[in-house]
Formats: sequence, structure tokens, C-alpha cells
Amino acid sequence: MTRSMVPSVATEGPVLTELRLEVRAFLAEQIAAGAFVPHVDTWLTRWDRDFTRELGRRGWLGMVIPTEYGGQGRTYLERFVVTEELLVVGAPVAAHWVAERQIGPSLLRYGTEEQKHAFLPGISRGELTFGIGMSEPDSGSDLASVRTRAEQVEGGWRLTGTKVWTSGAHEADAFFALARSAPPDAAHRHDGLSQFIVDLRAPGVTIRPIISMAGDHHFNEVHLDGVFVPDDRVLGELGSGWSQVTSELGFERSGPERVLSTFPLLATAAQAMDDGRLPTDVGLGRHVARVAGLHQMSFAVSTALEAHENADTAAAVVKLLGTTEEGEIADYVDTLTASGWALDEELDTLLHAAILQRPGFTLRGGTNEILRGVIARGLGMR
Amino acid sequence: MTDLRDLAVPTRPDPDLVGMLTELFDDYRSARVAPTEVVDLDGDLWRRLDGLGLTRLTGSEAAGGSGGGWLEAAALLGIAAGAAAPVPLAEHDVLGGWLLEAAGLANDGGLRTVCRPDPSGVALNVTWARDASSIVALWEDRDDWRVVDVPVDRVGIEERRNLAGEPSDTVEFDLGDLEAGVVVAHEIGEQFHLRGALARCAQVVGAMERIVEVTVDHARERTQFGRPIGRFQAVQNLVADVAAETALARAATDTAVARAAASDWRDPGMLFAVAVAKSCAGHSASVVVRNAHQVLGAIGTTLEHELHTLTKPILARRSEYGSLHEWDETLTALAASAGHDRLWSLVTTGRAAPRRPH
Repeated sequence: MTRSMVPSVATEGPVLTELRLEVRAFLAEQIAAGAFVPHVDTWLTRWDRDFTRELGRRGWLGMVIPTEYGGQGRTYLERFVVTEELLVVGAPVAAHWVAERQIGPSLLRYGTEEQKHAFLPGISRGELTFGIGMSEPDSGSDLASVRTRAEQVEGGWRLTGTKVWTSGAHEADAFFALARSAPPDAAHRHDGLSQFIVDLRAPGVTIRPIISMAGDHHFNEVHLDGVFVPDDRVLGELGSGWSQVTSELGFERSGPERVLSTFPLLATAAQAMDDGRLPTDVGLGRHVARVAGLHQMSFAVSTALEAHENADTAAAVVKLLGTTEEGEIADYVDTLTASGWALDEELDTLLHAAILQRPGFTLRGGTNEILRGVIARGLGMR
Repeated sequence: MTDLRDLAVPTRPDPDLVGMLTELFDDYRSARVAPTEVVDLDGDLWRRLDGLGLTRLTGSEAAGGSGGGWLEAAALLGIAAGAAAPVPLAEHDVLGGWLLEAAGLANDGGLRTVCRPDPSGVALNVTWARDASSIVALWEDRDDWRVVDVPVDRVGIEERRNLAGEPSDTVEFDLGDLEAGVVVAHEIGEQFHLRGALARCAQVVGAMERIVEVTVDHARERTQFGRPIGRFQAVQNLVADVAAETALARAATDTAVARAAASDWRDPGMLFAVAVAKSCAGHSASVVVRNAHQVLGAIGTTLEHELHTLTKPILARRSEYGSLHEWDETLTALAASAGHDRLWSLVTTGRAAPRRPH
């Protein structure tokens, strides 16, 4: 029977529960010690190399990277619960986010032995940080239209073009750039794209900030002007860039960051309702239920992926509903607050940040409009 | 490498049972004549299910049941609801049969329904009461919960129908009959509401999944402007949201069912799990019903079309065993009392961990 689009729900085993409690206790200590101030959307907005290295020391980075490459040799589900625990308290996780979520798994799948040994140990220690170079000024949802060119030269390639929305490029050591290594073919527009591992300090790389409407600098424009990339820094097969970047989307789309970006605000609002600083309102229960349902669905999808089952459509469902919900939480709490009535520094800070980050939730990593198309295709309508 | 089963255990009902039920109810649906405005008990179907042991699916084998658990029960309720089958599986077996067994009362196999009369002995919206041979009542008698099995000729029945056109009668008991009920443990009284609510969720989700099929089929077959309407993005968006909301309701319901099955309802997180299922399914119902009718167009609003046999029961059932508002209130109280530090523990386990000493 294939009537349900969600994989079977799964019950969390004792290994995961113990891991949760261990991480939770560590984070409570860190907050108490003032090591970080909880915030919303921290996988984009809070870059903290010290905190990242501390996670590496504790074995909570590189969890899915085999021990021979300096990782922990654990599972995606273990990484899933660690990630959830970090996000719900609003810990500063941006420095390792891209390396953990995309770069590590891609290197494991497509990298050469030399590349794995060169990068994976540093990623697992939280010392090597990465960005992603996919979107361009004229290529957003239509990623196959990227125009950054890779021209073959002696010993390697020269990349020329402009990447945008690269989170943390001004802090990161390197990024994966998707570039056209062969001329476009209108009949096969996904062909001819390749992935390159680019040193962001290399000559010819210019990084300019793109300031968000909150006035913050997380995104960058990365201009590549004939940047040399040696042959041994091509990732995977030449010309297979498209299938490489889309193959890991299940993990990217169904992850806890698609549900929990505003959880610290929801938790603060629950406390404020209990304290009488916010009016008691049934919307709180409705949102908590939805977050719980999404947590369960996200866990079910991750369990299916761990068992190597295809869950691409279900992952799109998690991202569609989850990113909508995390934004709805921001809007909901905003409807409860009254200006000029009382000052609530903690709540206001989280709320204002959540409201300003919200538009990005349903855009990044595949807009909700694209995702609805993915779901429609999964239903056989396209 | 850690064994996957130490990390997470996927929970699904027996695929053979699901396959058998799906075939049985698909056949039932395709053989059915046109839908009607009023929905009466289908006695032929009921006898057929009885012959297969499905009307006592969750009864213990010692008591003449099939020994099924909540996983199997939820599968049956959902698949039957997907075929809009007018049979009291939830009332007779999952709730009534369970109460009789919990009270140590005999079950002669006659058709039962179930209700919770108020202190004056009146119960409203008792589904299928007029069709029952006797009615299992759970009655709160001061500090005690009592269960009594009252033959239908000893109660007064005022016939009414719910939004779905199903019998949903007012039943008046003789207080003496209720007072003679068997005293049962408090947890029975407390669980009844949860079990009823979760049974309704299973039915709501089963009907939603059939709506996904009906909606997708229509969008692929109905042609306008020279192409199937499902080729238009505006229509794709409506259908994608139907499927997504259904998936969320399914995940929340199945999680509660899995916890109930694994702990025989003793998991202290059951209240939260059922509340999450009822809230998610209830709010998702708004989108599913609304969008499905929009996609199906005018034909979907007619008596002859299947769609209303699914949408009306969904809306009827989401208000049974507690309104959506009441369940959201319950969740709000649990969340506020968990507070900032324990809300996540509530979300993941259904209970707020003890507060850490400061």
C-alpha cells in the first residue's frame, strides 16, 4: 500500500535518547556559563568558531564521517538528534553548518581518497569551515541556468563568474562552486555542470557582503575572476555536477533546521504565557502540536533515509510544512504582543529577529513553490 | 556501526492485514451504489466483517475477540473510513468492547455503541444508538467511574443525525441502571476520552488519504483549456497542500497509535500524543476539505459524487471526543506549564522532564 506519502513513524531508541540528554546537559551548562546567548535561526545567523571547535572536541561534529577520516563513524539519526538539541536552544551553529550538512556527505560520496583525507578531519574537528556556491544573480530556483564558467587550463581549471547568497563566505575557508565545464545544450540542460572545491583565499576571489534587511552580514557575493582550481580539486565526475548537488536533497530538505529555526521563540512565548507576560491563547497549543507532528515526520523521514529508502517527496513535504510553520510561529507571537505596554527584552529580541529572518525560511534550499511542484510530481501530476 | 534498530524502530501494522483490509474495502467502495443523504448502518457489511473476526478485532481471544492491538485497530478504522463504510467499528469494538472487558462484563457479540451520559443520565450525539442491541455507558458517579451495558429497550432514544448524515442520537438512561454499573479503575475513565479521540483521528486520516487519491485522479483526468487541470500550477499547489497536510495528520496520529500500542496506553505521554494528533488532524482537515472541494469543482458538491462521503465525516469526527479548541487548550496548558526549559522535552516525549534545580 502506497497511499501514505510519509514513511512509517518510528520510535526513538535508547541510544538516541541518551545522546539527547547528554547534549542537552552540555548546552544547559554552556548557557548558564554565558558561552552563548540563545537566538533564532542560528544555523544562518550565529557563527562561532570556538563553540564549533568545542562540539568537535566532544565528538558531535563529523558524526557521519568514518573514523578513518577523523570522524565519529556514527549515523545520520545520531546526527539528527544532536542537531535538534542544538537548534532548540538556539546555539551558534553556523560555522560548521554547511560543512556538516552538505560538504562532508558529498566528499564521502564523491570525493577522492586524497580529498577525503585533506578535508574530512578538519571538518570533524570544527576547524575547517565551508560555504556553498550554487545560486547566481540570474540563477535562483532555476539552478541549471548557472553561468559561472570553468575553462580547462594546464593542470586544472579557471573559474569565472559570480555566486550569491553564499552564507559565511567571509568567514569560511573554502566553498563548493557549481560551474559550467561544457557549453550549454538546450536539449540536456543539466549536463555539463561540475563541482569544484575552491579556496576562498585564492587569488582572483573577491567577497562582498550582501546585507540582510535586519542589517546583518551573513550572505555574500563571491566573484571569481579566473580563479585557478587544480585538477585534484574537482569533486566527483566532470559533467555530473547536477546529479551530485541534487542527490543529497533528501537530507537537506527533511532536516530539523526546516522546522526548528524559531523554536527558541516558541519556548520563550510558552514561558511568557505561564508568567502572565503574554495572554493565554490556544494558538500556543496549536503551534506546539504542529511542531511536534513535524518533528515526528522529520524523524520518520530520517529513519527511512538511514535505511536507504527513497523519501524525496516526503522530505519536500517536511520542508514545505516546516518552513511555513517556523514562520507562522514568528507571526503568531507578534500578534500577541502589545507595543507600549511592557518591555520584554528577551522576547522582543527573539521576536524581531524571527520576523526579519522569516522571509528567508520559505526561500532557501528550494522555495515552497518549487517544493509544491516536487510534491505534485511525486503524486504523478507532472 | 550501531544497529539501526537500537536507534529507531519503525512502527507499522502487519502488511498482510493491511493488504487484506485494503482489498476488502476497495471492493466495498467500488460495489457501492450512489451515495445517499442519510447514511444508515450497512448490515450486510457488518455481518461480513463479523464473519472475518473484524468486528471484535481488539477483543482478547479469551473473550472471543481476535486479539489485535491498536496498530491493527487504527489500520482497520482508517481503511474503513477511506471507503466511507457505515459500520460502528470504533464504537462497538475499540471503545465498547474494551470497556466491557475492562469491567469484566460479558460480551454476547450483539452490536454495541458507547457513550458517557451526563449526571442526569442523558448522552448526546451517540452514534449508531438506534442500531445497537445494547449501549455501553461510562458514567462518572461522584468519585467513581462505572461501566454498564444497558439493553436498548431500557433507554429512551431520540433519533438525530450528525453532519455526515449518520445516526447520532440522544440517549436517556434510567439512573438506576447507571448506578448499578461496575466500578472500574480511574485510568479507564480517563483513557476513554483519549481512546475515543485517537480512534476519530485514525478515521479522519483514513478519509483524508482517500481524498488525496480522489483529488489527484480528478486533476489528472479532468481536461480544461486543452489539458488536464493538474498541469496548472495553481491546481498543483492546492493538491500538494492536501497531500502535505494529510501526511502531517498521518504522522501525528501514527505516533500516538505507536505509543499506545507499545505501552498499552500506560505511556505517561499519551495525553500529549493524542492531543497533538487531534490538533494536527483537526487543523489539517480545514485545508484538506477546503482544497479538495476547490479542485473537484462543482461536481464535487453533488450528492452523487464520492467526495462528500469523505469530507462530511471528517468534519463530523474532528469535533467528537473534544472540540479542536478544547484539545488546543489542553496543549496550551501543557506547553505553558512546561515553560521555556522543558517545552522541547514535552515535544519529544510527551511529558515535561522534572525541572532542574537552580
